[in-house]
Formats: sequence, structure tokens, C-alpha cells
Amino acid sequence: MNKTRIVLLTTIMTLVIFWSACNKQEKAVAPPVPGNEFITTLKLVATNVADSTDMVSCAWTKLNPNDTSAPDTSLAHMKLRANAVYNVKVMVLDETKTPPLDITPEIQDRENYHLVCFTIAPGLNLSVQRTDHDTNTPQHEVGLADKFAAGSPSSGNLEVVLHHQPNVKNGDCNRGSIDIDVNFTIYIK
Amino acid sequence: MVLLAVLITSPMCNAQVCIYELQGKVTDKHQRPVVGAIVRLLSTSLGAATDTNGNFTITNICRGKDTLVCEAIEYKKTRVVINIADTESIQIVLASGENELGEVVVKGERLQDLHTATQTELSGKALEQTRGATLGQALKELPGLNSVQTGPTLSKPVIHGLYSNRVLIINDGVRQEGQQWGSEHAPEIDPFIANKITVVKGAESVRYGSDAIGGVVLLSPDDLPTQKGITGDVYLIGASNGRMGALSTSLQGAFDKALEGLSWRIQGTLKDAGNFSTPHYYLNNTGLREGDFSANVGYKWKGFDFNVYYSQYNTEVGIFEGAESGSLKDLLIKFESPRPLTRSFFSYDIQRSYQTVYHDLFKASSNYKFHNGGKLDITFGRQKDLRKEYDSDLPLTTDPNILKEPQLSFQLITQTLDLIYTQPNKNGFTGSFGFTGTTSGNVFKGIRYLIPNFRDYNGGIFAIERYSVNKLTFEAGIRYDYRWLQVYQRNPVNLVLYNTTYEYSNITGTAGALYHFNDHLTMNLNTGTAWRAPSINELYINGVHFSDASYEIGDSALKSERSINTSFSVNYTSDKLRSSIDLYYNNIWNYIYEMPLAQPVTTISGVFPAFAFTQDNVNIKGVDVSAQYAFLPNFTYQLKATVVRGYNETIHNHLIYMPADRLDNGIEYHLPNIGKVSEPYVSIDNISVARQTRVPPHTDYVPPPAGYSLWNANVGCLLHIKHNSLNIQFAVDNITNVAYRDYLNHFRYYADELGINYILRLKYSF
Repeated sequence: MNKTRIVLLTTIMTLVIFWSACNKQEKAVAPPVPGNEFITTLKLVATNVADSTDMVSCAWTKLNPNDTSAPDTSLAHMKLRANAVYNVKVMVLDETKTPPLDITPEIQDRENYHLVCFTIAPGLNLSVQRTDHDTNTPQHEVGLADKFAAGSPSSGNLEVVLHHQPNVKNGDCNRGSIDIDVNFTIYIK
Repeated sequence: MVLLAVLITSPMCNAQVCIYELQGKVTDKHQRPVVGAIVRLLSTSLGAATDTNGNFTITNICRGKDTLVCEAIEYKKTRVVINIADTESIQIVLASGENELGEVVVKGERLQDLHTATQTELSGKALEQTRGATLGQALKELPGLNSVQTGPTLSKPVIHGLYSNRVLIINDGVRQEGQQWGSEHAPEIDPFIANKITVVKGAESVRYGSDAIGGVVLLSPDDLPTQKGITGDVYLIGASNGRMGALSTSLQGAFDKALEGLSWRIQGTLKDAGNFSTPHYYLNNTGLREGDFSANVGYKWKGFDFNVYYSQYNTEVGIFEGAESGSLKDLLIKFESPRPLTRSFFSYDIQRSYQTVYHDLFKASSNYKFHNGGKLDITFGRQKDLRKEYDSDLPLTTDPNILKEPQLSFQLITQTLDLIYTQPNKNGFTGSFGFTGTTSGNVFKGIRYLIPNFRDYNGGIFAIERYSVNKLTFEAGIRYDYRWLQVYQRNPVNLVLYNTTYEYSNITGTAGALYHFNDHLTMNLNTGTAWRAPSINELYINGVHFSDASYEIGDSALKSERSINTSFSVNYTSDKLRSSIDLYYNNIWNYIYEMPLAQPVTTISGVFPAFAFTQDNVNIKGVDVSAQYAFLPNFTYQLKATVVRGYNETIHNHLIYMPADRLDNGIEYHLPNIGKVSEPYVSIDNISVARQTRVPPHTDYVPPPAGYSLWNANVGCLLHIKHNSLNIQFAVDNITNVAYRDYLNHFRYYADELGINYILRLKYSF
């Protein structure tokens, strides 16, 4: 049985070495990736075509994308003049960074598979026309730059949706998946 | 022809008990395996055909004298009288014949492993008919089993309504430790390594440790060869749907003279598929690529048996493009559309989103047989699981290095050590006791948060004792388990590291009895307990699950789940009929599930219904029926039925995600052998699944899909080419090209299941 013991002992020793050799990588929790960007804010900036001093904006913000808290909608409304036409810029921001980081250029870079769609609530006298185009063949609209035409005084909801449409963009809103979906209240006075 | 038989038994019981098992191998005179030889016992006509390695197993054999008959094409029929008794070891040598068949080696006659728990097995022809499919899909063939799927390529086995962390997978004696918590986390195993898959249905923590609440899936490779020479198998599989191709090869051999006792096997698998198709459209981006290999070396020396094994699994799987949901609104638009909104086409390309998975296993094991018949087994395993998930969009960044990174990455490294002593049979008592230990460390890296890092240590001790007297066998066991878990996190504001420690301990037990009424009828009754500690996602997940369009919230105060499962089975075996009925009732306390919250979560990508992990007391009961009836010569009717009912006792309602009632039945016609073609057959099967109507209200976005009925057909035969063999099988799945959706497929919101599929399977054994 002497041989048995030697073999058994060697086996167990080898295993113990294997066992204790495991390194403890899990204790070094990776810090947040510094270059990574979060979408926290969607902002609309509207400039009256006839009067460049009439510049209004609205913003929808949720600073922590990973919690169940309510979003900050205190600025999610905007007043437009009746029967006026506005040039509107859609801006996507990362407000976890100081100063806030504008992510819109990165979405612009990927404009061939992004599309902004607007849903206007019945009763709100507003029409929206996208004014920018991508480089697909044939070209499609993008919607980061738009023309808002306000009609007679009214108010209501405007839903702004950024669709992610890799390789399937054809101008339809229903394709791909939704990256951003927020609501604003628009007052026309 | 030479027939060499080695019978090994231990003294056991004295009555007429038909619980012996005869194992053996038929080889030609060059010691190459003879495939398709029929070996049977004259008195009972119990018999078996040898598999592609020449091996056969005959079960339910009675004590006493009998004649073993061996027949094979081109060889002389051989008979030998054997005495199945309390003999230690005997060798029988038959006279040589002209055709030089060689020998039949009956290498072990032993008592069947008598398990009082309900078991079912996938092997032989039934297993060959699933080659090329994933483990989850293959096991659907067994009564009581279903699969939960995420598209056509990712599936997990479901035992009696339970899956993921509630089903334990044991790969050649080692607990498979991977990322098993998500429905899209399929087991990281190449099914080609197994030549037998056994499923233990019911709570089995005593023998296998925690998590065995639903049951255990045991994958067993073939034994390493003992005789000199090289043999092997080559599988070549092609399927029309997904234009899938698979190639799997294994080579094995043993040495003699100075190197006697040394044997080896190498094995590898390659698999490639493109977009799968439903009856009306392709599922874009559902391709997969897989490459696996394994190597095994064994050495037998005196009472020792050493074995070293390494395997590696690599896969890249595309996630169906139409299943990307940015919000609940997105999901409902996709559900209401009769087909995916984008143009469908075939392609082998895998685009974002996709996942890559790497899993490797190193195993070193050895056992020693003592002179008294006892045996000591020691097994060490080290496995690494690395899963990377790439979202449909690139990370939002200007940093080119981050652009290449996956959005989620998980690395789990696990070490396991098992020490088990099996005691020799004495006065009807047999048993085993042992220690098992595991430790694992999980490292999460991700651009968006999902789960934290952790380290765990698990230790368990157990003892199981069996006692057989006359026709009755009793079994009882007890186990103690301890789990230590430490979770590492970083405060999101000041980035300070902190940790939280959890401890869990549990005692589990099992007791059962098995009664042999006669040669045909056995009954077994078993009550077993199992437990499971909450998994890391149940404790800490926080975030959006994009394919389910839900926001999941973990609960770090969850307790362990505990279950008591009682099962009762009746087995009847005769010449014409083989049947079994399994009834079970599984009570689970603190069952962890996701409860919908009244308040949805608003994120910048829309409004998501929120689900919080919570626990309640539930029960799952059901019945599995299987039967094979040779109603006419050459015709066999077979039936498999699975019925599961789940109920939440705390909220007095149905349990979500229970499999719908399933009936699988068919007829097989065996043609006579023609020349070198043996065992030709034709079969047709119907699989009918009812609509799941027992669902809790307000927990799902859309009602469960309608029931469906599918037809499948198979033809096959074995071709003898000199001393080698070619197994040819051709199958057509979903012959009528029915468009249907399955309740347990997470992509049922987005698309239909697969349409017609023609599959050709070739297996060449040499």
C-alpha cells in the first residue's frame, strides 16, 4: 500500500496547487470606461426663420440610465409662435460629463442607419418636415435638422423617436429598433 | 469465431431477481469492432444490437443459466452458455469458425445501477437521429423534457417545467459551470462528445449538489478502448434549413506490450449555418459558427485508472435582427406585423448583434479499486467560460479601442474537486459517500451595467446507502452543503470598492424504493430534496433586457430555494411492449421568479414594463408517458406524452412559462436486411403541442401562441463496407411546412419557428 499512498498524495498535492493557483481577478472591479458615452438628454432647439431672436428649446433628461427613477421633464416643453416657421436642431447629449458632451456628431456620422420620427398629437397644429439627408443610395432623410411649421394656437404632445436601422433604412419609421423615445409638450400661442 | 466473455458480479441477493446487466463488445479477429451484430439471450429473447463501437448492453437479466447467441452479417452464428450468478469473473472461449468473426467480449456483467429516482436516456439510434442539433433540441426527444429557446440556435433543456439554474448539467463527471442564468445562455457543450445522455428527473441534490431542482443531465462519452488498434468515427451532416453543415470526427486507440493500459481519444467538431428560414421568410442574422475539440488520455495500472481530459468549445451566434426591441412599443409593432418588417434573405454573415462564447474544461481524474471491491474516485476540474455580447449598435464613443469592445463580457473560472468512495457490496448493502468542493470567480466587464463580480466557495458532504433484499431495493441519502458568496461592486459616484458577503447552508435528503414484481414489471417511488442559492442575476441584475423589452430588477435579500419532489414510476417491459409512466409532484419553497410591477420604468429609449425578482411557494406536477409497441411484425408504434402543471400557491395563480401539453407519436417500419444493407427502417412521427392556456394574467405582453401539429419523417440504414460501416440517415422535419410559434421560444413575439428542413446524416465508423 506504500505505492498507493505515494500516488494518492502526489495526486492530492497537485490538485491543491491547481486549486490555490486561481487568481482573484474578480476583486478588481473594472471602473466605468472613461471614453464611453451615455445618452442622457434629448434636446430640441428651435429658431424662428423670420426672427432669429426667437430661439426656444426643450429637453428631456434622465441622468442615470440604469435606475428606476423618474426622468427630469421639467424642461420638456416649448412655446412656439402661431403661424411661424422654425428651424429645429435635434441634439443628443451626455450630461453625466462636465461640461455636457454633445453626442449628435456621432449620430450624424452614423446617419445612414438612423432616422428621427415625429408623432404629433391630434389637436396640435404643427407640421414637421425633415430637412437633412443621409448618403445612402437612394438618399433618405435623417431628421436631426427639421422645419417646424406652427399653425393656429393650440397645444399638445410631440413624440420624438430616434430609430436605429442598420442596413434596413428605407424611410419607414417602423424598421429597426428604437434608441430614443421621448415626449414633449408644445404650446402654440 | 471466438467469443470471449468476462463476467464480473458481486454476491447480492438470492431470489429470482432480474436486475443484472450484461455489457460487452463484439470484435473481429483483428479486434476491430463489429457493428450491428445482434446479441441475445435465448431464454428471454432479451437482446441488443452492437453500436458503432461494437458495444452492447442487455438489461433486466435474471440470474441463472442462459445461452448467449451472437449473429452478424458475413459471420458465423455463435452460441455460448453463460451462468449469470454470483461469480467473481469467468472467461469463456468459443471455438473458432471459418469466417473468423473474431470474438465477443462480454466485459462486464454487473448489477444494474438501481436508481429509485426517475431516469430516462438518449442513446443509440435515437441519439444519432439528433446529431447536429443543440443539446436542448436533442433532449426534447425524451418524455418529460422540453426546451426553452431564443431563436433557432440557442436552446436550453427543460426538465419537468424547470430550466437554467434549476437544471444541472454534468459533463463526464464534472459540473458544467457557465453563464447559465439568461434564457439566451445555452449550455456550452458540443453534444458530439456524448454517446449517451442520461436525464435524472426530479430533485437530486444529494448525489449531485445544489441546483438539481428540476433534474440532472449527464453526458457520458464512450469508454476509452482497451484493445490495441485505432478506430474512429466521422460524422457528416447537412441540413437544408440554414444550409447548415457539421463535421465531427473522433479517433481512438490503445497500446499493448510495454504501453499496455494506455489509451487515447481525440475528437473535433466544426459547424456552420446561415440564416434559418420559417415557412415564409428567412430569419436574418441567425447564423452560427462553432469549432470544438477534445483530447483524452487514460492509463490503467494495477488497481489504478488515471484519466486526463481537455475540451474546448468556441461559438459565434447571430441574434435574429427582428428581435431587437428598443421598447415595449417596438415589441408590439413587431408582434402585430405578420412578418419581419425588413427584407429577408439568406446569408452566412453574422452581423451585430451577436454573441461569442468560449468554454474550456481541463479534467484530471483517477480511481483506485481496493482488494475488498471498494473504489475511490478523485476528480479535479477547471473550466473557464468567457461570453461576449455585442449589441446591435456600436458603443457610443469616439475612442477606437472601445468601439471594438463587446457591450457585455462575462468570465467565469471554476475549479471543482470531488472525492467519492464507493463501498463494496456486503450483505445486500451498497453505497457511496464523498466530498465535493467548487470555487468560482466571475469577472464582469461591460459598457452598460448588468451584474457585479463575485467569488464563491461551495462545499458538500454526502452519503447514500442502498439495500437490496429479494425483489425490493431501498435507497436513502443525506447531504450537507455550504455556500459562501462575496459580491464585489464599486460605488457609482465616488468609485469606492465595497463587497457584500452571503452564506447559505442546507441539508438535503433522499429516500426511495424499487420493487421488481417480475421480469416485466417494476415500480419505483422516490422522494428527494434539492436546493439552490439565488444566482447573481436574481440578486443584482438592474437594467433593460432588450430582447424581452423588459426592465429587470434584482433583490439582494433573496433566500435559497428548496424543493421536495416525489416521483412514482411504473415500467413494463415485454417482447412487444416497453412502456413507462412517471408521475411527479414537486413542491418548491421560495421559488424565485420575476413579478411584474405596476409602475413601468421610463428610460430615454422608452417605457419598459418592470419586473422584480421575488419569491413564492409553488408546486409543479405532471405525468410523462412513453411506450413502444411492436403491434405487427416489423412495425413499432411509439408514443411520448408530456403534461406539466405549475401553480403559485402564494398568489393562487398559474406559474408562468410552463411547457404546454405535448404528444409525440409515430410508427416505424423495419425492412428486412438486403445484402450488405442492414437494419433499414422508415418512420413517420407527429408532434402535437397544445396552446398554453394556464398563464397568470397581466404578466405577458401578448397571449400564448396557438397549438400546432408537425410531421417528421426518417429513413435510414446501416451499410457494411468490408469491416467498416456507414450509417445513413435522411430526415425531413416539418414536412407540411407549418408556420407556428412556440410558447417557450422567447422570439415568439417576433417570428415563426422553422419551416421544412431536409437533413442528411452520415456516420462512417472504422
